Parts: sequence; structure tokens; C-alpha cells
Amino acid sequence: MDQTRRRFLKTAAMLAAASPLSVVARMVNDPSDGAFTPRTHKASVVIARRPSVIHDNGDIDHGVLASMIASSLCHMTGTSSVAEAWRSIVKPSEIIGIKVNAMGGRPIATHQTLVAIVARQLIAVGVPEKNIIIWDRLTAELERAGYTISRSNTGIRCFGTDTEYEPQIETAGSVGTCFSRIITQCDALINIPVLKDHDLSGVSLGLKNFYGAIHNPNKYHDNGCDPFIADLNTHPYIKQKLRLTIIDGLRAQYNGGPAYKQQWQWPYGGIIVSRDPVAADAVGTACIEEKRKEQGLPSLAQAGRPPLHIKTASARGLGCDDLNKITILRV
Amino acid sequence: MNPDLILNRRSFLTVLAAGAWYLSGIPFMRSRSVCAQSLPDGSAEGLHEVMFYRKLEDLKIECTVCPKKCRVADLERGYCGNKENRGGTYFSLVYGRACAVHVDPIEKKPLFHYLPGTTAYSLAAAGCNFECRFCQNWEIAQYRPEQVQSINLSPQTVVDQAASRGSLTIAYTYSEPVVFYEYMYDCARSGRTKGIGSIMISNGFINEEPLVRLCQYLTAVKIDLKAFTDSFYRTYCSGELEPVLHTLTVLKRIGIWFEIVVLIIPSLNDSPDEIRRMCRWIAEHLGCDIPLHFTRFRPLYKLTNLPPTPVKTLDACHRIATDAGLRYVYVGNVIGHPAESTYCPSCKRVVIKRMGYAILENNLKGGKCISCGFPIPGVWEPPGKL
Repeated sequence: MDQTRRRFLKTAAMLAAASPLSVVARMVNDPSDGAFTPRTHKASVVIARRPSVIHDNGDIDHGVLASMIASSLCHMTGTSSVAEAWRSIVKPSEIIGIKVNAMGGRPIATHQTLVAIVARQLIAVGVPEKNIIIWDRLTAELERAGYTISRSNTGIRCFGTDTEYEPQIETAGSVGTCFSRIITQCDALINIPVLKDHDLSGVSLGLKNFYGAIHNPNKYHDNGCDPFIADLNTHPYIKQKLRLTIIDGLRAQYNGGPAYKQQWQWPYGGIIVSRDPVAADAVGTACIEEKRKEQGLPSLAQAGRPPLHIKTASARGLGCDDLNKITILRV
Repeated sequence: MNPDLILNRRSFLTVLAAGAWYLSGIPFMRSRSVCAQSLPDGSAEGLHEVMFYRKLEDLKIECTVCPKKCRVADLERGYCGNKENRGGTYFSLVYGRACAVHVDPIEKKPLFHYLPGTTAYSLAAAGCNFECRFCQNWEIAQYRPEQVQSINLSPQTVVDQAASRGSLTIAYTYSEPVVFYEYMYDCARSGRTKGIGSIMISNGFINEEPLVRLCQYLTAVKIDLKAFTDSFYRTYCSGELEPVLHTLTVLKRIGIWFEIVVLIIPSLNDSPDEIRRMCRWIAEHLGCDIPLHFTRFRPLYKLTNLPPTPVKTLDACHRIATDAGLRYVYVGNVIGHPAESTYCPSCKRVVIKRMGYAILENNLKGGKCISCGFPIPGVWEPPGKL
């Protein structure tokens, strides 16, 4: 076959463009302007707490929580309105995945009210409903946590990855895995984990929450999940798409996690918000440590499960874990 | 041309038929995205409690079926991904849920000294206690049960189907049966009541107590010895060597028939020194009559940067093993290789001639070479009923 050099290069370029790898390559070379990078953003974390956010009967006060989110975002972004804040975080044209944590069932899952408020605020700035996907590992777990499942193309979608993983293995440091097809199809991610303790990794906050995005998390529990959690978060599917972490601390758990243990849950009544996923986890961990101390429990390190992954994530350049260098705003 | 490779018309057709059988024998459920059945929900209803574990404080448990000894908190799973702690009780999520089922020639396992020319009703459930970077069946072994398509198949149904398809044996294979221990145990026990044997195709990473208890119902075992260095086990399999060697010695002590397979991977476990040490260990601790299969690696899963094993490397391994005194040494995944066949150690004649999974000649009678009467070790008669 007679093939000229020009024709060969043209064919090669077309093949490269059609390759699945090229998607990753484009993401790496052209990071979305909304993604957090430690070089361009100073680590800041906003903590919003209102005792009144939880009614005596246990219900969440929608209005109070909405104002907590709005206030947090405005302080974090330096904007004067929640709409302006969201516009600095996402674009209306993007497909936005809201990653929740549903594995422990309704008492310890990400609150639906919190997720609903975030979704409404996104819609208010022009994000089409169909561009919002609320997701976790399994549809059944979302249902058990009280979420209403929808795969409709007209409204907000909510479902689990279930069997829908990408067929090819992706590597991120020590982690080799198949990612959820939800995460690969989203343009932007908003991570809403729960403020809770974890039996192996010390805490299960924002960084750990992405174990719900891979097919084989059980392979990465050795050594307190370190360096696996950090490595996973370095993958472009997460690193380049993650725009915001909101740790749901309305009801938090300081021991016995990740499953729900009533005796160790407490009404923290707050949210922890940051664009720096490492800083968010560092501050969340400090909250749990403080509560453990107050309750006379050993620190996580003394309990044999220091959250090593947070320091490792910092070392990987994912954010700041040094509480002395993080600007913490309490609103 | 190698005279061992010359085929007559009948042999050619036999091999062709066996090849077609093999190709059709790709486990029927490899796709992950078809329609996974949902697992039983958060309750314990419909689940089968794990046989080997102990309860710890705060609803935690420690699994004791394999040397990983996973400590698992409430609602979490062990390394295998197919067992879950629900409120302090550890449950198998794959009991009675087969993700791959097929009838295979026994030679495919491979077991060469076990009922040659018969079939094994072969099944798997999702999960593994290793993560070999070269995993051949990673689409079921490295996935969680809810991520693969499965069918409900009770132990009794497994036995009935094996019998109706004329299989003398049930094989627990494709993934790692140690992690679906309870399912395997009950199938094997039911099978033996009907005169159907059971073979475990395993990495050998199992604790002694469950192994001994299981072996009362098994009729043979094949162990994948991944390498002969602990560093290989830790780096490429997330496992350890010593417990596997212990399993081999326990099998020897029990007296159950077993064979060993070593997948030779270029540059990783193929050094003559390592192979020599391995063969000497086998000869010393297990005896010279244990069949040893050296099989050819093909790049898969996470180990795709290495070439297939050169045949000359396999030949070298074969020579080393023979020099170490091992009598039954085979080369696998190289169709037409002379070392696919079994030779009589006494008269050197072929006692079982193989080509791929096909048996071309069987010159055994009553387990002895028909030429010289030398007894060839193995299982040559179907098991009786227990």
C-alpha cells in the first residue's frame, strides 16, 4: 500500500482523536478553569453551623440550610450572591455530577434536603435539570437512603453506577480500576460526603467518598487505605472535574463508622465547604478529633487509624492539609 | 518437522472439535453491563452466613477462611469483595449465585492425571482474595457480585445439572473458589452423595482448618503456584508465598490428588535459579510424582507491557524440573508441544497423548502403563458415593 507521509500523519491524528485515551489527554492538557489547583487558589474552608437547622423532631429546616449554603459559598468565593458564587464554580452548559454518600442508609447518608437545595441553586443559575445527576455506587443504596430514583432525560437524574463501569482499566498511582460511567460523563463534580468516622481510614469524608466511583474499592483498604485514596483522587476524572466539596455535618458520627451507630452520632448542625478537597478533609477530621476528645475517646491515631490519606493527598499536590495554613471562616 | 506434531485426519478432527468446544466454553456471563441481579438488601434475609469468621467488638468481624484475615467493620466487605458484615454477622453475597457456568474438558483446568477425557461442570462466583496483575478472568474475579451478571443456582441444581450433562466432576474455577467457600462446600458435599466428584482450582491461599474440612468432599485440587518468591506474590498478586506452600504440604499430608500450575511470566518469575529452587522444594516436600505444569503467559489485565512467554523459556523450565527429578512435567498453552503428553517414567513411552484439550491416545489400563505395567499416579476411576 502506497501511503504518503502526509496521509499517514492525517490518519494517525484521526486515530488519536478517536481514541478513548484522547479524552483523558485533552483533560490533562486543558484543565477546566473551574477545577481547584493549589497553585491558583488559597486554601480556605468555610464552616457554617446553626443549631436551628435541625428541628426537635429531627427534620432539617430547609430555609436555614439554604442560607447556610448561600452564606458559605459567598464567603468562599468572595461574591455577594449565591447565584454569582455558583457561576464562578460551574457553567450552565456543564453536566454536573453530585456525588453523595448513601452506603449507611438513611440515618447516616448525605441529607436529601442538602442535595435538593444545591440542585435548586444550580438550576437557578441556568443549569438545565437534565444536566444534574445525583449519584452513588448503587441505586439500591440510594433508595435505602431515601432518594427518589429517576433516569428521566427531562428532570434531575438520580441513580447509582450499578454495573455501568468503563471497560478499560485506568491507572492512578497505586490504583488500577474501572471508573463509573457517570463520573466519566460528567463535566463537573460536586462532592457531598458525610462527616463521619471510618474503621480503616480514620475518617470517611470527601477524598474517601470517591471509592464509590470505582469498581474495586475492596482492593484498596490495606494500610488504612493509604496511599490508595490519595492516588485515586489524582486521576483526571476526579482531579480535573472536582469543583466543590460540601461535607454534610448536619448529623455527624465520631466513632464506629462507616455504618450508622446511633450512640456515636451527634447533631453537629453544620456544613464544611471548600474548593480544596484536602483542606475540607483536614478541617472535617479536626472536628471529629475534637468531638472524640470531648467524649473521652482516644484520637484516631491512638485508635490505630490515623487518616494518613489526607497528608498523602497533600503530598500529591491535591491541596493543603496544614491547619495552620488553611484560612477557616466560620459563618 | 517435529514428528509429534504430525496429525492424521482423525486426530485433526478430534483437535478441531476440542478447539470449538473450548471457544464455545468461554464462560457465558462475562459481560458486566447486561442485567446484574440486585443483591439482597440491607437485611440478612436470603443471605448465607460465612462458615469461618469470628466476631469482634463493636460489630466488627475477622474473616478466617484465608490468610488475609480481613477485619471488617459493620456494612463493609473484605478484600474479596463478596462477603459483607451486616450488623456483626458476616455473610456471603455469592452463595448460590454463579456468574460463570460451563462444561469443560478436565484437561482445561488443567488436571492431567485425573479422569482424562472426561468433563467438568465448571462454575464461578464473583471475587478473589488476590489481585494478580495478570489475572486471566479479571472481569469476574476482580469485580463485586452486584457488578456482574449472575444466575441463581442452588447446590442441588448444580449437582443435578452436572449429572444430566454427563460430567463426573464439578469444578470450582475461573475466579477464586476460596472466596465462595460455602457455596463450593455445599456443592461438593451434595455431589459426593451422587457419586460426582469436586475439584478446586485455586491459588491455594486458604487457612488450614477450612482446607482440611473442605477436602473431605473434594476429589482433587489444582494449585496455581504464582512464583517462588514472596516479593512476587506481594508485588504482583497482593498475596504471600508461605501460606501457599503450607497449603501444598497440607494437601500432601491429607493425601488428596493435586497438581501444580506455574504461569511463567517473562522476566518476572522465569529465572532458572528460581525455577530450580521451586522444583527442588516440590521434590523434597511433595515428592516427585506431583504433576507440574509450566504454562505460557499472555498479556492481560494490568500486565500488558510484557510479551507472551517464549516457548524456549518453557522448555528450559521443563528441563530444570526434569533434572530435579520430577517425573510428570508439562508445558501448557502451547498446542502441539510434546510436553502436553504424559510419558511413562519407566519405559518412556507415551501413556496419554494430548493435543490441546483433546486426548489422542490413552495407553493406561488400571492406572498402569500398558507397555510395561508401571503405575502412573493419579485418579483414574470415578469417585464412589459417600
